[in-house]
Amino acid sequence: MAGLTLKRPTRPRALISLVPMIDVMLILLVFFMVTSTYLNLDMIPAVRQAEAPAPTAASGEGSGGTVMIRLGADGVPVLRGRAMPGADLTAVLAEVLAQQPLTQVIVLPSGAATTQALVSVMDAAAGAGALRLRVIRLEARP
Amino acid sequence: MKLNRPSPAPHSETIVALIDVVFFLLVFFMLIGRMDATAPFEVMPPLAESGADMPAGGATLSIGASGELALDGAPLPGTAALDAALTRRLAEDPGLRLRVNAHRDAELRHVLPLVGAAEAMGVRDVVLVVTPGPPG
Repeated sequence: MAGLTLKRPTRPRALISLVPMIDVMLILLVFFMVTSTYLNLDMIPAVRQAEAPAPTAASGEGSGGTVMIRLGADGVPVLRGRAMPGADLTAVLAEVLAQQPLTQVIVLPSGAATTQALVSVMDAAAGAGALRLRVIRLEARP
Repeated sequence: MKLNRPSPAPHSETIVALIDVVFFLLVFFMLIGRMDATAPFEVMPPLAESGADMPAGGATLSIGASGELALDGAPLPGTAALDAALTRRLAEDPGLRLRVNAHRDAELRHVLPLVGAAEAMGVRDVVLVVTPGPPG
């Protein structure tokens, strides 16, 4: 008597193996993990000629006053002869800007001051609501 | 009676889950990371609270604490090399955006003249890179 043979149909094999795709994805994953930087960075516009109107001779006088902040080599801003570190500068600028909102804030930094000091002054002016901020520098006579 | 053992099930089910996880990780790191060329020296941008979101694209000028220069990760020996590199980049892209990534302790005599020179060369969009946070 012949034995009964039961054969289950074998599943068809996948036409494309997934293993090479996993290899490629792992390599891409490691590549992006290693080469990318994950710093949270912002920016402050320094030059934007496309949007800013061309400065005119009367623009600083007719549309509000001008306030000059001198930034010393020690990084302490000086406004109207008084050193104003920290939040004092923001408070005084806010008072001035409350009276004349279009006051132009001019920053004259020393070449020995640090970038952080200048950015802190720009931050204080922006916090006080300054709309017109300009950084100027003195150039040596050729 | 002869019963054939069923062939072992293929591993495709478990592999699919692995592919999903790897794919999500891949997309996560592609979205979170930034493919910027890093400077060959340490650059810690200044802290500022009033910064805006960093735009993409453009060239990155890195300035170290002692005035070292690098453009898109390539070190520059001096300002003459920077002028030449910027002129070449401006010829390729007249609307070039320049991101100045200066170290927070870099003296302004190393930074501001370069911004002025870039403006004089015709760079119309210069931004200063900062780190969000209260100034220390």
